[in-house]
Amino acid sequence: IREKLAKPLQVGSGQKLESENIIDETSDIEDLLKEDDDYKEESNYSIETSGALKWKEDLSRKAAEAFLRQQQATPNLRKLIYGTVTQDNEDEDTREELGGLFRVSQPDRGCKHKADSLDCSKFLVEAPHDWDLEEVMNSIKDCFVTGKWEEDKDAAKILADDEE
Amino acid sequence: MATQTHSLSYAGCNFLRQRLVLSTLSGRPVKIRKIRARDDNPGLRDFEASFIRLLDKITNGSRIEINQTGTTLYYQPGLLYGGSLEHDCSVLRGIGYYLEGLLCLAPFMKHPLKIVLRGVTNDQVDPSVDVLKATALPLLKQFGIDGESFELKIVRRGMPPGGGGEVIFSCPVKKALKPIQLTDPGKIKRIRGMAYSVRVSPQMANRIVDSARGILNKFIPDIYIYTDHMKGVNSGKSPGFGLSLVAETTNGTFLGAELASNPQGQGAAVLPEDLGKNCARLLLEEIYRGGCVDSTNQSLALLLMTLGQQDVSKVLLGPLSPYTIEFLRHLKSFFQIMFKIETKPCGEELKGGDKVLMTCVGIGFSNLSKTLK
Repeated sequence: IREKLAKPLQVGSGQKLESENIIDETSDIEDLLKEDDDYKEESNYSIETSGALKWKEDLSRKAAEAFLRQQQATPNLRKLIYGTVTQDNEDEDTREELGGLFRVSQPDRGCKHKADSLDCSKFLVEAPHDWDLEEVMNSIKDCFVTGKWEEDKDAAKILADDEE
Repeated sequence: MATQTHSLSYAGCNFLRQRLVLSTLSGRPVKIRKIRARDDNPGLRDFEASFIRLLDKITNGSRIEINQTGTTLYYQPGLLYGGSLEHDCSVLRGIGYYLEGLLCLAPFMKHPLKIVLRGVTNDQVDPSVDVLKATALPLLKQFGIDGESFELKIVRRGMPPGGGGEVIFSCPVKKALKPIQLTDPGKIKRIRGMAYSVRVSPQMANRIVDSARGILNKFIPDIYIYTDHMKGVNSGKSPGFGLSLVAETTNGTFLGAELASNPQGQGAAVLPEDLGKNCARLLLEEIYRGGCVDSTNQSLALLLMTLGQQDVSKVLLGPLSPYTIEFLRHLKSFFQIMFKIETKPCGEELKGGDKVLMTCVGIGFSNLSKTLK
């Protein structure tokens, strides 16, 4: 049984390594998930023979799912924050030479501008919604106590359940 | 602190406060170069110099070196000392600019901080004292920073350009912070606000209240907006009016929004009705962004999570502001802390936009200089 379990797991981790090299990751993970399904069917009979190893049933599938979830959820924001920040180019590189002696200074470069801009913690609204529209107003309706409550927190629902 | 650690180096004047604050907390010196180096008027401005002076006041043994043109600043932090202090803030920025720095540092002083700040209490750039009082203080309480002396009081109101406001901020010291688990903001149960007017007709505040209520009443009935008209010496040196709104949820989350009139002699006159309506809309935008901490206080919450005990802290935020994103990068370089960031799409629920769940393990920062009694 050990051998059987170990083998598909190895295949799984091999796939994972490969997927890191290939750009189209999501389709690769889908393949990986499909493979795991196959593996599950094949190992079904071994589980029937020993109930003790039931918790190992679909470990690699669970791992693959967790991996997939993580991949879908975060990559952009994390990369945006902790990814390598492009160093602002030293001024010397960007200046044009004039007559081989003077250099034209170009103060308004994008990154320079950011480094010296206003130090303020307020988060300004760039594209305000039109709060007169019914549709827009409805988009935050459930943020208020007057809106719809979750099943487990809805007082009316809980009361009704209690009476039953 | 005579630490031999390498100093961190940055360029430009943006994010100056967070760099200096994190340097003070971590004990790592910073060097900031090219401060407005290409500007017609290069170097540090008055308001930044005032912030550095404030840091010098609350610490003991800080070393500050500024070059002749003011374009390079070297800061080697000392120990946070605290005590009873006074500080005249520059009128170019609001008191909120200074207060935001102090809110990060005050819990870690040797002696409890009690400071009188003079300057502009409400302006169009920085979070006003009213909003910080209503949103940042409850946030600090979530981390266990609380006590009788925990207070932010507005004694006088001052509007730009003249200023003349005065606030008293006092904060108890804490040895360690509690980790937080703020993953459910709850539902908004009431909206409170403060419409203020100084050196203009007191009727302005009432006009603001009426127009703001007109918009917010469609969402929730429990709205109360106080009017505050300060007179005489308590009204500062310049006329102006404004509104700050705070939405409070069932789980103790406070979301704030505010607007102030144009400073005297700058820009067109603003109608109080328009100001009230626009401020109410800003609050709706803030509710749309959502989360357990509003957009202004994101970085404060993340800092206190980082400094907490060695335990997992979680907080649900709205979209991260550019200021917060830079702050996260700084947290990484000063404290080697990286957050786990999970985006939570809004889905079918009618609860505004996408949210972000931030998770980290605190570094177990403890205030060793706090005196034992």
